[in-house]
Amino acid sequence: MNKKINLNLKGYSIKKNGILFVFILLCILLSIITPGFLSWANILNILRQSSIIGIMAIGTTFVIIGAGFDISVGSLLALTAAMCVGLQQHMHWGFAILLVLIVGALVGMLNGFLAAKIHIPAIIATLGTMTIVRGLVYLYTGGYPLYVDSQSFAFIGKGYLGPIPFPVIILIIMVIFWQFILVRTRFGRYTCALGGNKEAVRLSGVKVDFYHILTFVVGGLMASMAGVVYASRLLSVTPLAGQGYELDAIASTVIGGTSVSGGEGSVVRTLIGVLLLTIIANVFNLLGIHIYVQYVIKGAIILTAVGFDTYSKFRE
Amino acid sequence: MRVRKLNKSFPGVKALDDIDLEIYRDEVHALVGENGAGKSTLIKLLVGAYQRDSGEIYFSNQKVEFDSPAQAFQSGISVIYQENSLIPQLTVIQNIFLGMESFTSLGLINEDKIYQGYLDISKKLGFELPPYEEVRNLGVAEQKLVEILKALIHKAKFIIMDEPTASLSENEIEHLFRIISELKSNHVSVLYITHILGEVFRIADRITVLRDGKKIKTVFTKDVNRDEVITMMVGESLKDAYISEPAGIKKGQQPVLKVENLYRKPRINGVSFEAFPGEVLGITGLTGAGKTELARLIFGADKLQGGLILINNKSVRIRSPLDAVKNGISLIPEDRKKDALILILELYKNITLPTLIQFSSKGVLLNRKEFDITQYFIKKLDIKTSGVNQVMKYLSGGNQQKAAISKWLQTEPKVLIMDEPTQGIDVKAKVEIHTIVRNLAKSGVCVIFVSSEVSEVVKVSDRILVLSHGRISGEFKHGVRQEEIMRIILKEDE
Repeated sequence: MNKKINLNLKGYSIKKNGILFVFILLCILLSIITPGFLSWANILNILRQSSIIGIMAIGTTFVIIGAGFDISVGSLLALTAAMCVGLQQHMHWGFAILLVLIVGALVGMLNGFLAAKIHIPAIIATLGTMTIVRGLVYLYTGGYPLYVDSQSFAFIGKGYLGPIPFPVIILIIMVIFWQFILVRTRFGRYTCALGGNKEAVRLSGVKVDFYHILTFVVGGLMASMAGVVYASRLLSVTPLAGQGYELDAIASTVIGGTSVSGGEGSVVRTLIGVLLLTIIANVFNLLGIHIYVQYVIKGAIILTAVGFDTYSKFRE
Repeated sequence: MRVRKLNKSFPGVKALDDIDLEIYRDEVHALVGENGAGKSTLIKLLVGAYQRDSGEIYFSNQKVEFDSPAQAFQSGISVIYQENSLIPQLTVIQNIFLGMESFTSLGLINEDKIYQGYLDISKKLGFELPPYEEVRNLGVAEQKLVEILKALIHKAKFIIMDEPTASLSENEIEHLFRIISELKSNHVSVLYITHILGEVFRIADRITVLRDGKKIKTVFTKDVNRDEVITMMVGESLKDAYISEPAGIKKGQQPVLKVENLYRKPRINGVSFEAFPGEVLGITGLTGAGKTELARLIFGADKLQGGLILINNKSVRIRSPLDAVKNGISLIPEDRKKDALILILELYKNITLPTLIQFSSKGVLLNRKEFDITQYFIKKLDIKTSGVNQVMKYLSGGNQQKAAISKWLQTEPKVLIMDEPTQGIDVKAKVEIHTIVRNLAKSGVCVIFVSSEVSEVVKVSDRILVLSHGRISGEFKHGVRQEEIMRIILKEDE
């Protein structure tokens, strides 16, 4: 008979929290090699660098836990950033932000509808919307960068509350908020459940499609929030904005231990994944390692992280 | 083929007990028995899909140890299952010669040689198929013939056929029987597994009856009649261990559930019945009779194409499981792993899923309340688990089933439909579940107990309905003998 390896020690699964150990180990290592690594300045710096992808990855986490996939978030960031900047010619940035958040949610809803109701495999559906949205970005910007000049708006991306950069505050608040939703609310429970076995949840009398679509709405919403922060940091948006961001967001999510088959994951662990990637990128830059090599390494990390998860599930 | 003292157990279940069996050359040998008698297990052992615990298997007078079905296949043993093993988008010829293709000296497939081989074999058996037609475009009967040809090309000396006439028309069955006779004259032995006794008497030379994993008897077909075979399949009528006290049925009560003329093509063709609070209503019949489809239909898992469902004499629209749950109907599906449980989630999360609203306040979940109800059911149904937090996939089959039952019990249903609730569960847990069912009925719930195991249905039910071809073909009260039910079930062939 097969032996079931129960990797549960006092309630903590080694498999799931393995990434946490790796992260802590890495931090300890780096603080030994590079004095000043664990200084406040550096920590805040890393957090600030991680904030845009981090916010986006929160949404990606929800989608992947629901057994879905969303590669349109990068384009969505560009669209919402562009619109956020462009709309400020006609309205106060407060309304612009509100509007683009709604746009993000709507695009998310479209993704969810295509995946859940039309049954287009999520990766293909979001491939389609990614292309459409990127096209809309070009149409909206006319192919040129957009600029805005508002100090109050710039506070979002460049301001500080005390020593802490404002984007970091947004990131931390969002992580806490959405982790709470995931673990302690019905929506979060349904998300995990339907990611684990959608049919069983349907046969339990739950409106699965509604909740399934809702995960994509969260994905779109977070992508647009990331777009707002992006626009505020740079005070300009080019049509190429956000290209490749979806890769980093999804990579962070799976490295953070969210299973691609759905049903389990954690926003906090995704944050660890984001920080890990940021730190590795920083270290590589400091060591003068060419950016091309970083791509190779990043890809290898993704394959290792996901492969470890899928293969151990296969063995079970 | 000869087997001697073959034994096979699964956790908690002895599937085959000291089986001795001989199948001669040039013989058509029928294997009959109720669901759960051990027929499938025996087949899987013969072809190497399972490994035996003890005993010996001899094929062509040589002792054999097959590690895999591929090995058995190479040695000349072929199985034709109910679900075909053909590749739909390949042609007839490609399927038949899969793995046995002839190659030219250049390494290309020798189409001419293959075609010749195909002509030879189909002439031998006396029929023709369109050789270059894609298999998916053929009818079920023709696909079965392709499988037979495939077996022959792979030099099968022994072909096992599992319910070969399911989905075949009368004409096609005739044709199949002729081919089986041809096989016999070509020195191929056939082991023929079926529920349809009429066929057995038409085609088989000898019959072996299995019951509860034991071989009862092997007889020459000409020496027995139908009733004798049924008696062997069913055994003595067992004393009712359970129905010593009446369930919660009170006289003169209204039916809690009434269905009229339910239709859903192709499986359900006009089902009507009533079910009363406090009774255990058993529904039984052969595989394919429509039992699971009926259960799913009443629960809203599939769309109803026609008919009415009434709860407490009021007509209700059940268009989704949500509607069913709102109306007090719960279903424990046949495939608990696929349809009822979320294996990567913890026990308590599974149990509270259908009524999660009750376990939350203003959207926030009340874990304490979830733990409490889970503990309640762990105790009540004696679920063996390391705690409310144990991940579902680590529980054993019987305990998973108890968890599935708990999940629906806590919705406090008026009608609880259970589809094959004791499938794949050890004997002890089976008895526990039967007791749970009786107690449920005593407390006023209407339990609809769907099972293809007639002995189980007879033990547990107050009333029994027999389903055939999507219609109710018989109704019995408790105390009926198994044989009477089997007779109605097997009436297909008359």
